[in-house]
Amino acid sequence: MRTPSDVRVSSVEGDRGSESDLSTGSDVLTERPWNVIVWNDPVTPMTVVVVVFRKIFGYPNNKCTQLMLQVHHEGRAVVWSGQRPRAESYCVKLQAAGLQATVEQDT
Amino acid sequence: MAAKLFVRKRDGRIEVRLNEAGRAAVREIFGHVVAAERDPDHEWRTSLNAPITPSRDDDDPLATLARQSEIATNVELAVMTLNESQLNENEAWAWLATIQIALRSTALAHGFLDDDTLAAGDADVLNEIHLMQQLLFDLAACL
Repeated sequence: MRTPSDVRVSSVEGDRGSESDLSTGSDVLTERPWNVIVWNDPVTPMTVVVVVFRKIFGYPNNKCTQLMLQVHHEGRAVVWSGQRPRAESYCVKLQAAGLQATVEQDT
Repeated sequence: MAAKLFVRKRDGRIEVRLNEAGRAAVREIFGHVVAAERDPDHEWRTSLNAPITPSRDDDDPLATLARQSEIATNVELAVMTLNESQLNENEAWAWLATIQIALRSTALAHGFLDDDTLAAGDADVLNEIHLMQQLLFDLAACL
């Protein structure tokens, strides 16, 4: 999966975003990706989480199961990373499907 | 209710095997989501308006509108197909999303944030939760 941090862009003075959004290297400008986080809760059946991941992201079954187990055991999992508009769009879809999800920028 | 509440048929449709009592329970679940979606003071409102990007003071209005629209579309389709004996993929998805919203909203409204608070919950509420979990479990198995 491509993320903004994979994309190298020539650094041009005046073409930079805010400090909070962008980090600069010597000759590259990279944007930290935005993560979609799914949080654990005590009531949602595991099979529902797998079905929702498959429907929304189109991931194969084993990846959905792996992510679901990560949510279950670690309390949260990053289920997608990339540009903010798409991250928020995925988060909205997860919330509309009844899962607890948020978006945060990668640290 | 039958042993399996939903069964995937060979033609791809999903058969609803709920009896009248089962359908009445589902009708009540969908009705709660409709009420929560329309009433800004409903006790489930918090879970329907969860933050999208908590690091920001306010979420993008377009994102919150998209969420509201998606929830409303799902619950509308779920209510419209309440008495159907068979559901297609989209209708079954609408049922699943709507019941799941009801499940999580019920849990949040009663402060069930972890296994301990859930285990100490009121028996009637836990029965409601178990019913919704059973519906979701059988429906998810068909999707």
